[in-house]
Amino acid sequence: MTLSDFSIQGLQQAIQRGDISAREVAQRTLQGIEQQGALNAWTEITAERMLREADAVDSRQQRGESLPPLAGIPYAVKNLFDVAGHTTLAGAALFQARPAAEQDAWAVSRLHRAGALLSGMLNMDAYAYGFTTENTHFGATRNPHDPSRVAGGSSGGSAAAVAAGLAHFSLGTDTNGSIRVPASLCGIFGLKPTFGRLSRSGSHPFVASLDHIGPFARRVDDLALVYDVLQGQDNSDAFQANRPADPTLVGLAETGQRCALLGGFFSTWCDDDARDALARVARALDIQDEVTLPEAELARSAAFILTASEGGNHYLPALRASPDRFEPASRERLLAGAMLPAAWYVQAQRFRRYFQQQVLPLFERFDVLIAPSTPCTAPLIGQETIHINGTDLPSRASMGMLTQPISFLGLPVCSVPLTTSGGLPIGLQLIAAPFNEAAVLRVAFALELQGITCVDKQNGKQ
Amino acid sequence: MNQTTEWALYLAQMEQILALELDDARRAELLIQLERIAALAAPLMAFPLDERLEVAGVFHP
Repeated sequence: MTLSDFSIQGLQQAIQRGDISAREVAQRTLQGIEQQGALNAWTEITAERMLREADAVDSRQQRGESLPPLAGIPYAVKNLFDVAGHTTLAGAALFQARPAAEQDAWAVSRLHRAGALLSGMLNMDAYAYGFTTENTHFGATRNPHDPSRVAGGSSGGSAAAVAAGLAHFSLGTDTNGSIRVPASLCGIFGLKPTFGRLSRSGSHPFVASLDHIGPFARRVDDLALVYDVLQGQDNSDAFQANRPADPTLVGLAETGQRCALLGGFFSTWCDDDARDALARVARALDIQDEVTLPEAELARSAAFILTASEGGNHYLPALRASPDRFEPASRERLLAGAMLPAAWYVQAQRFRRYFQQQVLPLFERFDVLIAPSTPCTAPLIGQETIHINGTDLPSRASMGMLTQPISFLGLPVCSVPLTTSGGLPIGLQLIAAPFNEAAVLRVAFALELQGITCVDKQNGKQ
Repeated sequence: MNQTTEWALYLAQMEQILALELDDARRAELLIQLERIAALAAPLMAFPLDERLEVAGVFHP
């Protein structure tokens, strides 16, 4: 039995019983990461810390203590999370010479307290600006389903690490789709919680108005467990909503969620693989209704303008001082963003409110709305365009066109993976009302139980 | 007025205002980016919003 055959709870219990030590878990994980180095998912491996965390778990086990929920569970984080003693890169060569972080990001400290073992930091699109993790400086992360294809982005390393069975879970961030897109292309589950739900303290910002953090996992119960650990109040995060923790794992098997498909923009801008996946889920859940989000295309444009403006402003001093150190694919895109008229930015922010007012009433009739996470399966590394709806679109920007309007709303989304007829995975977004993460996780769990989601070769489910 | 000319003038102004040092290759790429974003902004700016509509904030439970 390999480590990835275990669920998080199964592995934690095996460590608690003494069937396997946390040190053995750490050593086997580090060995696996080395063996699969060609994936290029890690930009730094924290072996020393991982072994130290493992030994602390083993000491507690030997003293007969009851172990915390993530004791001995291997994980890794997108390299924009602060990890004490290491420089936070945010995918950028620009930051390589910066001093090391003095303390862990809030989320990382939370996982550390829960006993998890950090294996290292993961590759991403520079500045989190992109959907393919084709990073000029750190190289492209490869898709574990087909190494000639992209892993998606910007949290590409986070998705590839979990899909390859090298971590039970990982952390990523999502501004316009950066959790949902790589989850879709790598065939795993990803959760983008409600905007403001989880603390972002100690993560390198990109677009403060839209940034979210969230977990990836191969199983829904693992995803829910990690999400539950990440919940909690952080007074240092001004964007966090004042809402008590709302555990999701305990009610995962509850059914009865009212679901509808999202038509219009979301069914137009995808290919037959995505439509077929949607049809299979509609049959499995006996979905009769389809609804549209009015002005979804404008929402995408408004999200683009917020991203360009805030991202551009964020990097303006560095764009001025050291333009030669920037990712070539993003530099002028960022600088153009710094130049936009304020009227466009404010209109985009006000339109966000309008769009929320139009969409939120839909949740009086439905608990979960469903749409593809990506227009198609993973493109090849270096592929400039994707062909969707009779149109050639730039891959880097367009893989997120179906996720962008939803994160603009700030709604919680779980991306669930299905296998297409060609064998590559594709994800569907399960979308709920603000703070109803429980609903999307329950529907994801029901689909997993029915065997509709990807057969997870890593844990032997059929 | 020709749209391209308009954005080239805007770019020249912003180059001064933001104290940037650009070359022609970067100006050409910036022009492409600005025109692309302008095309997205046009329908958004044309969309009528209620004068009392405020910006969105964080959701409150």
